[in-house]
Amino acid sequence: MLIMNLSVKGEPMTKCFSAICCVLACSVALLSVVLISHAAELDLKPGDTIGPQNWQRAQGMVGENFLNRLKQGHTIQIKAPKIYRPLKEYIEATEKYSGRVSLGPNGELLNYVSGQPFPKFDLSDPQIGQKLAWNFFWRWLGDDYKTGGAVKGGKIIRSAIEKDGSERRADLVSYFFFPRTRYTSNPKPAIPGYEHIDYMQLRVDSYPRDAAGTTTLEIRYDDPKKSDDLYIYIPSIRRIRRATTTQRCQTLAPSEFNLDDINSFNGKITDFNYKFLGEKKILANLSQEKLPFDRKHGDYLPLNEKWEVVDTYVLEITPKDPNYCYPRKLLHLNKMTFDTHWTLIWDKKGDYWKEQFGMFTPVKLADGREVWSVADVVIVNVQNGRSTIVTATRAYNQGYPASMFSLATLETIMRGGSIE
Amino acid sequence: MAKRRLNLFWLSVCLALLFTSTTPLSAASLFGDDWETFFKDKVSFRGFAENVTGLSVSHGDRHFNTSNRLDMQRFTIQPEINVDATSWAKFFISWRFVKEIRYSAEGKSREKTVSYFPAAPVKPLRNTFYDEYRPKPWEAVLDLLPTDTLKVRVGRQFISWGETDGIRLLDLINPQDLTFSPPAAPNLFNLDETRIPSVGLRTLYTIRPVSNTILEFFALPGFFDEAKQRVDEIVGSNDTTDREVRYGRWSAHPETRLILAGRNAFGNMYANPLNPVTCQTATPTQIGCLVIPSTGRELPDAGDSWKIGARITNSLGKLNFGLGYIWGFNPQSTDMVFKVKSVRCSAPVPGPCLAGFAPSVVSLRLVNDRTNVFAGHFNYPVGDILDIPVNTTVRGEVVFLPDKPYNIAKFPGAFGLRATVNPRHPTGVVEKNTLRYALGFDRTTLIPFLHPDDPWRAFSLSFQIFQSIIFDHEDGIHPFSTAEKIKRVSTALTFRIGTGYFGDTILPDVFVAYDPEGYWAANPAISYVPPGNEKIKFSLVGAFYGGRNKFKSFGFFDEKDSVFLKMRYQF
Repeated sequence: MLIMNLSVKGEPMTKCFSAICCVLACSVALLSVVLISHAAELDLKPGDTIGPQNWQRAQGMVGENFLNRLKQGHTIQIKAPKIYRPLKEYIEATEKYSGRVSLGPNGELLNYVSGQPFPKFDLSDPQIGQKLAWNFFWRWLGDDYKTGGAVKGGKIIRSAIEKDGSERRADLVSYFFFPRTRYTSNPKPAIPGYEHIDYMQLRVDSYPRDAAGTTTLEIRYDDPKKSDDLYIYIPSIRRIRRATTTQRCQTLAPSEFNLDDINSFNGKITDFNYKFLGEKKILANLSQEKLPFDRKHGDYLPLNEKWEVVDTYVLEITPKDPNYCYPRKLLHLNKMTFDTHWTLIWDKKGDYWKEQFGMFTPVKLADGREVWSVADVVIVNVQNGRSTIVTATRAYNQGYPASMFSLATLETIMRGGSIE
Repeated sequence: MAKRRLNLFWLSVCLALLFTSTTPLSAASLFGDDWETFFKDKVSFRGFAENVTGLSVSHGDRHFNTSNRLDMQRFTIQPEINVDATSWAKFFISWRFVKEIRYSAEGKSREKTVSYFPAAPVKPLRNTFYDEYRPKPWEAVLDLLPTDTLKVRVGRQFISWGETDGIRLLDLINPQDLTFSPPAAPNLFNLDETRIPSVGLRTLYTIRPVSNTILEFFALPGFFDEAKQRVDEIVGSNDTTDREVRYGRWSAHPETRLILAGRNAFGNMYANPLNPVTCQTATPTQIGCLVIPSTGRELPDAGDSWKIGARITNSLGKLNFGLGYIWGFNPQSTDMVFKVKSVRCSAPVPGPCLAGFAPSVVSLRLVNDRTNVFAGHFNYPVGDILDIPVNTTVRGEVVFLPDKPYNIAKFPGAFGLRATVNPRHPTGVVEKNTLRYALGFDRTTLIPFLHPDDPWRAFSLSFQIFQSIIFDHEDGIHPFSTAEKIKRVSTALTFRIGTGYFGDTILPDVFVAYDPEGYWAANPAISYVPPGNEKIKFSLVGAFYGGRNKFKSFGFFDEKDSVFLKMRYQF
């Protein structure tokens, strides 16, 4: 039984359950309550250390695999929480436009312009899960950003770690562009002609050499029925290929991510059902010390990094498509930023499959204001023992032109070259 | 002199860049801190070293007569330098250095002669034919972005249109180089090894980025690139006395069915003997009826003359499409034709031929005609059809070649030969409008029972159909190399499947091609990437061919089956 899973609300009991099952379920529910309150009342203070001797203090606040590593000897230290404030422009857009936003019959967003769609929500609202999902999707991410941009060298570093500890590295850069939710750059809030596009992404592989220059252009449309567009430039044949994006579950080998694992959850919001499971304190790191974090070769565990207690909303995601790979995924959304800290995934048998945690770090905008960015992200496949670490710090508001996100850019990629 | 100056220029550039990019410490002292920062931040040095060893499965065949089973031992180093100079200017340069041991069959074929009267001795190619030593850059491009919407690329570069895999349709811009690669073997070598970069200009102007409306123009002057004698892309010259066209490793099986008077009568497909009357009245198998071919490649080829093209691409909803035009030489070796230059007597004086005592010799030149190419392409992702998840990208290409030249003969021919000169087309050439198209269907599929280690690691599947349609088709149209008819509609089908096992450390990939006329090709490969080192890759690749006969399609290569071991290190 999974520790974090215990804290969620259960479905109503049915008459067909046996008395034993009822007793067990009640026990589990009771235990959940105990753990929730236990986690909330842990009162972890800055300077506290958690390790094999007192791993129970982190129970329910980290993924099961991580907890096992604590039991086995890994030690973490608690630090004071890092507080971020939402950007003024984002707040203004939220205040200006959120009043008219509503949900459609299929969970789609109606009358959305920019900002947070649902800044005021009632946790007992039956549609709260869907609203939180949209708040997550439209969290502040700048007008654009370059992932890898805030790392020395300007690249995302991805390490695929095998069960035996052997590693392969890959470097890449990713550019995101949000043409319809612009807070800083003109035109605001949307670039004319781009109102139907949620985001565009360019991803350029730069290492190793044979992958260098492989570039993807992905376009996410606001039409819930319209699949993403995906074009891939393949340098070995100097040509652009188009790919389907409907097979979103396929492993992006050699990593343990799939298309929908990017940024914790990258699926189309309307393709899933959402259930709010409660509020929860978890352990996270909002001010990563070093990029990438120190670790032993062949192991994903961050060393010399401190953790902090963070308030989150727990959101359960279940697919509308019964054939989807993840029948259940839990996001732990930061109450302020709506970014995710822990993402837990189960397979169709109900077995725990993957856990993902993302650390954050402060970065500066051009005007000197401090904002947050994802830093290192770790995904661990507990079933096959492989893990992937991505150092993916963002540089926001780079002022990329919309024309950069077109096929013409793909046509002019050189091996290992940048596209800016 | 100009060529020498050009070489010196490239040598200087090469040395300067190599020096500055590989010696950062001394660069700092030489150029100062700013330059050191520039080289550190803006200049990257990459490349690969690769060794390919090929073993002939068909060892012993006359047309693949390697001294032993080894038919390839090739070592390549390709250094590459990328300079992200500014936001509006970038530079990329690479060199290719190749060393390969000699392939003995090539030399042996050159020693052969079937001329009735021995002509001048065969002149061998340079011993460094397969090698690349020169400092001339392989690719050297300067990318300029004067505005957000205009991109200009100048320099020696690859320009590749189309999306087809394994068989080329729209990829008609850069010249081919089949020196190293057998045909229909995309798993063996990528485009870098099968194309020759050309000096030119390419511009892309984005009219409307959101719909990807892009206007493209390119111009390849050609005269910067010297004509390269490439024996291996030529279908075998059938042991004639010329000094240019020769068997190579991957040259196709030559026509051997046209025998007259004990001699090869391939030339009879293209010309009548000097005195055909003697053949009409005398025994048709007499030596005077024989026409011996003397073949040669007429340069310039595709890399030696102007080529220009333009196209516009656009997206309408999910449909992305483009229309384009290319003017220039078609570099596809299979599109070349033999043109008759002259017919002479094999004897020093014409008397013996006129009297019917000596064979005639037809001088044939293998040419790529300058041509107009009208091109189009589209791609369209298909999701569900009637609630059935198709999830396939459909892509298509179409090429219209007006007045494309073909060789034509009369079947059956005179003297009991399979084919001889077509009386309606005594030049041996006919021009026909030709339409070619390809449809491709790409998708990824999960096949869990074939992937016990990771059921969610997808298989990439690709199916393609190619068709060529000759309008106003005439009986007797044939490839320049053999007496085998080309039908009004020719078809080829390909299928490719690939995936990765154990965290993509084991990567199988199989490409197969099938010609419904009864020919096939298979190009299986399996690669190993060590889990602890992303820079190294080992690949075992096969190239196998077969079919109804060895005079057409993939059957050309059915005695050239080989397996290869590639070892590649990226730096």
